[in-house]
Amino acid sequence: MMNTNGERLEPPDLRHYEENRSKFPLEELAKHWGKHVAFSPDGTRIVASGATEEELEAALVAAGIPFNQVVFSYVDGPDVSRI
Amino acid sequence: MSLLFRYKVVAVPHPVVTLGGRWSRPRPILPLAVIGPANTAAVDGYLDTGADDTVFSERLAARIGLDLTNAPQGQLTTAMLANAPVRYAQVLLRVTDGKEQREWPAWVGFTPAKLQSPLLGFAGFLQFFTATFRGDREEIELTVNNLYPGT
Repeated sequence: MMNTNGERLEPPDLRHYEENRSKFPLEELAKHWGKHVAFSPDGTRIVASGATEEELEAALVAAGIPFNQVVFSYVDGPDVSRI
Repeated sequence: MSLLFRYKVVAVPHPVVTLGGRWSRPRPILPLAVIGPANTAAVDGYLDTGADDTVFSERLAARIGLDLTNAPQGQLTTAMLANAPVRYAQVLLRVTDGKEQREWPAWVGFTPAKLQSPLLGFAGFLQFFTATFRGDREEIELTVNNLYPGT
């Protein structure tokens, strides 16, 4: 996959994401129950959130953060059991 | 070599009866990058051995510049028994656990249905790996198999 200049499009550097995301503080995650969130590529911070994917995109735009420089995720609500 | 991912834990405000009163739930979520014709997107995906396909939201398709106008179409049904349309396209998927990286072409689905998380199902994802779910350690090990088409 190339851009219009024929350059390879690289995703954000996720080499540290798995390690840091696994250690992300649960109390911080709890602030975002039931929300779509965007993590920094190193998995250390939530940089934006929204009730829907659309709201999250709008929050990123408002903050001037490119979509391709975050990790889109979702924090399940507190009383949700996935099946 | 293999990829190793920890289950991602979410705290809950009350004890989980089915987990012996534990105050959190572990979930098999892992990060991946989706590389499209115009851009890339990184997402946390939900490994689902019961899902036939790997499915993302149509909003993600828009973010990576994927035109689904003439894409093959189908239907998906969820555990909630709701039906939703899905359109299929080929993208590149990339995963890394920080030690090893894998990237491969995959046919995946995109749906306008409100997906909370992308589903990493058989076609496009699990078909290419031997996946070991270690419930006791709350980790997943992925080892490429002989169908794996990538690097």
